[in-house]
Amino acid sequence: MPQTASQFTLLKVARLIDTAREAVREQAAILLEGDTVRQVGTAETVHAPEGASVREIDYGDATILPGLVDSHVHLNGIGDGRAGDELATLPDEVLTVQAAENARRHLYSGVTTLRDCGAKNRTTFLLREAVEMGIVPSPRLILAGRPVAIIGGHLSYFGTTATGVDECRAAVRQLIKEGADFIKITATGGSTRTSHPLRPSFNVEELSAICEEAHRFGKHAAAHCVSSQGMVNSLDAGIDTIIHGVHKDPDDADTYRPDIAERIAEQGVFVNPTLGQGVARIRMLEDMDSLTAEQQAELDTFRQNSDARMDHFARMRDAGVVMAAGSDSAWSYYPMGDYQTDIEAHAMAGMSNMEAIVSATRDAARSCCVDSLVGTLEPGKQADVLVVNGNPLKDLSALRQIADVFLAGSRIDRHDFI
Amino acid sequence: MPTTPHFTILTADRVIDAKGGAPIENGAVLLDGSTIAAVGRAADIHAPEGAAVQTTHYPGCTIMPGMVDCHTHHNGFGDGRLGDDLALLSDEILTVQSARNARASLFSGVTTIRENGPKNVTMFRLRDAINEGIAIGPRMVLCGRPVSIIGGHMGYFGGEVTGANDARALTRQLIKEGADYIKITATGGTTRTSFPTLPSFNVDELRAVTDEARKFGKLTATHSSNSAGIANSLDAGVDMIIHCYYLDADGTVNFREDIAERIERQGSFVNPTLQVSRATAWDLTHKRDDSGLTASEQAELDTARANLDVRLDHTRRMIDMGVKVITGSDSSWSSYQLGNTVYETELLVHAGYTPMQGVLSVTNWAADALGVSDIVGTLEPGKAADVLVVQGNPAEDINALWDVEDVYLAGRRVERGSDESIAAVRQLPAQI
Repeated sequence: MPQTASQFTLLKVARLIDTAREAVREQAAILLEGDTVRQVGTAETVHAPEGASVREIDYGDATILPGLVDSHVHLNGIGDGRAGDELATLPDEVLTVQAAENARRHLYSGVTTLRDCGAKNRTTFLLREAVEMGIVPSPRLILAGRPVAIIGGHLSYFGTTATGVDECRAAVRQLIKEGADFIKITATGGSTRTSHPLRPSFNVEELSAICEEAHRFGKHAAAHCVSSQGMVNSLDAGIDTIIHGVHKDPDDADTYRPDIAERIAEQGVFVNPTLGQGVARIRMLEDMDSLTAEQQAELDTFRQNSDARMDHFARMRDAGVVMAAGSDSAWSYYPMGDYQTDIEAHAMAGMSNMEAIVSATRDAARSCCVDSLVGTLEPGKQADVLVVNGNPLKDLSALRQIADVFLAGSRIDRHDFI
Repeated sequence: MPTTPHFTILTADRVIDAKGGAPIENGAVLLDGSTIAAVGRAADIHAPEGAAVQTTHYPGCTIMPGMVDCHTHHNGFGDGRLGDDLALLSDEILTVQSARNARASLFSGVTTIRENGPKNVTMFRLRDAINEGIAIGPRMVLCGRPVSIIGGHMGYFGGEVTGANDARALTRQLIKEGADYIKITATGGTTRTSFPTLPSFNVDELRAVTDEARKFGKLTATHSSNSAGIANSLDAGVDMIIHCYYLDADGTVNFREDIAERIERQGSFVNPTLQVSRATAWDLTHKRDDSGLTASEQAELDTARANLDVRLDHTRRMIDMGVKVITGSDSSWSSYQLGNTVYETELLVHAGYTPMQGVLSVTNWAADALGVSDIVGTLEPGKAADVLVVQGNPAEDINALWDVEDVYLAGRRVERGSDESIAAVRQLPAQI
């Protein structure tokens, strides 16, 4: 549990990453008042009000940046490679316990805001209740609840399928009633056994109904798209975020579609490319002492896909598309607590370290519609602060050298396992 | 699983094997993977010739069996809320809370618990999660839901039945779901619609449960908060009497020596749950000192204090009569939180146990009461390597059980986290 925040906290550090301006501030200081950032500047300019009691911490040669924002997680996931079809057979109580473990792990690894992109039944809503009761430490939660899927579609085993405009509207209303902060749609098939990853799922009129209904209640919509037509349909429907953003034809050819990229940029839609998912699996396979023929084939496929997607990533950026980091953990083999791999993947695909960090803070927050609260360290923003040893602008692996995590001004005991 | 056995030697100033004898000075325990291989003087304990062994010395410490808490409510919060209100929470949240409580108790040195009544299938689900490797916790002896009359104590957890036939059916259902023993509420309790000074089930209903449980090799335990309920439970051959309050139907305190003698004669275990009263008294005393008490809270404090005195006295008498009294905390019920089992053992020492008997009441005897003494409760070759290492000597001062140095569950050292987080689990005493 977070410790009680004294009213003022003054943090001093060798450098602070200003993700709002994509700039570095040397010999920096930041003043927190309760749960809010009060002042950001240098050690000379930042002071608590005269006479106020202030807790001061000097971190020396460390870096302060905003707490990380992971725009894409699956709190139900176990990250041991099991298929979602199998995961969904676990009872809701077990999946909620797993969600609590994942929330804790992500928080302790530096993530202070996460967006869950699909969970079974009411498990994540109930996790939020448990967090509000103070029995689970957790980042801020932005929840979809169940994804909206077609019959047999990707993630349909989590409990919500809809056919036709009316059912789609009803599904959105039901989710919002239960507490959804945004609507997740699976606009193409995916790893779900009964789904077709190379084909779109919903028709445009259905997608439009979902987006419209979400927007009517001030919620955004994000669509899983692992093939090109799904992206086109989602853009037609007025989607806010395209997840995966895979350019693929129905025959599995990796054809980059500049026309789609242009539309994405033009419509101001975010893309969450989930490159870390592939990099995590490739690293895991490469670290094995020996591979079976099946694993070698898997590694080859992952490398090929990863190359194509990193190439498309660079081209989409050139077209002006904003890339929001989001790990997709703990889906497949990617356990939570390792958002850093996804950020590293953005650098591998051509971003500077600064750009990769911005994609995992400011831009991820923008894509989740929480940028008025988090994602940058500016007066008035929430005091979600990550302190890492070393300089991630020189070496991104510094993001793994965590010195401290503050959530709403409270310093997290990262060794509290109760 | 590794195929080569992994040996660990733990040494300390003394080993309490909890078999009833004196501590072994300069003792050691040899663990072979998840099992205890040898216990004795450090000079005599060695891994097999040529085997790789990891040795850890614990200067100033005592090595003993992990504690066994016979009575927990893992769904609970220990924040004073009534069970009626607890039961309103969704099963998922109660399972998450149970997981939290499981860690708190394990980190405090409790390596086996018997859960005494959760809602629906929440504890079976927690056990599933532990078996999946996504949660950790002590070994669990589970009842599923308590068997209750309509409106009876803990009926809100989902196990209300009427008549011998339905009682038998529920027993079979619970065993099918995975129950290791059957918990029955033989009297009312704090449940709003129940009657704490009156029995609940008739004897034929109780007997149906105990017969059916025995048929499948399962033990039974009854919540008995009045004398008539204790007598009915004894008629039905119940294995453990919980609370064991000697109250007449009109609420008069009246120690029934005849009933206590029957308990002793039948060999039933008694779990007197003393600390749950003291925890309430502590909470209210803290509140009184902080912000004052209302008249009804003051009355509640007076009742809690009086109950504690009476129950300490009755426990003392039962111990003198040779009744098998064991530690079972009843946390996190009422205001008593999991991770604080030692307070109950400390009160058994107040009631007349020597510190060593206190240790036995939360290890060997407790394991015996739960029917798991073939696996845990003592440090003996062949038993599970559930080991507690504490600073000091609990055979001289029972409060040494608070100063946990390390906990091993099935031979694995438990990662317990920061000192601050562990310290925050301990409830603050008050001068009452």
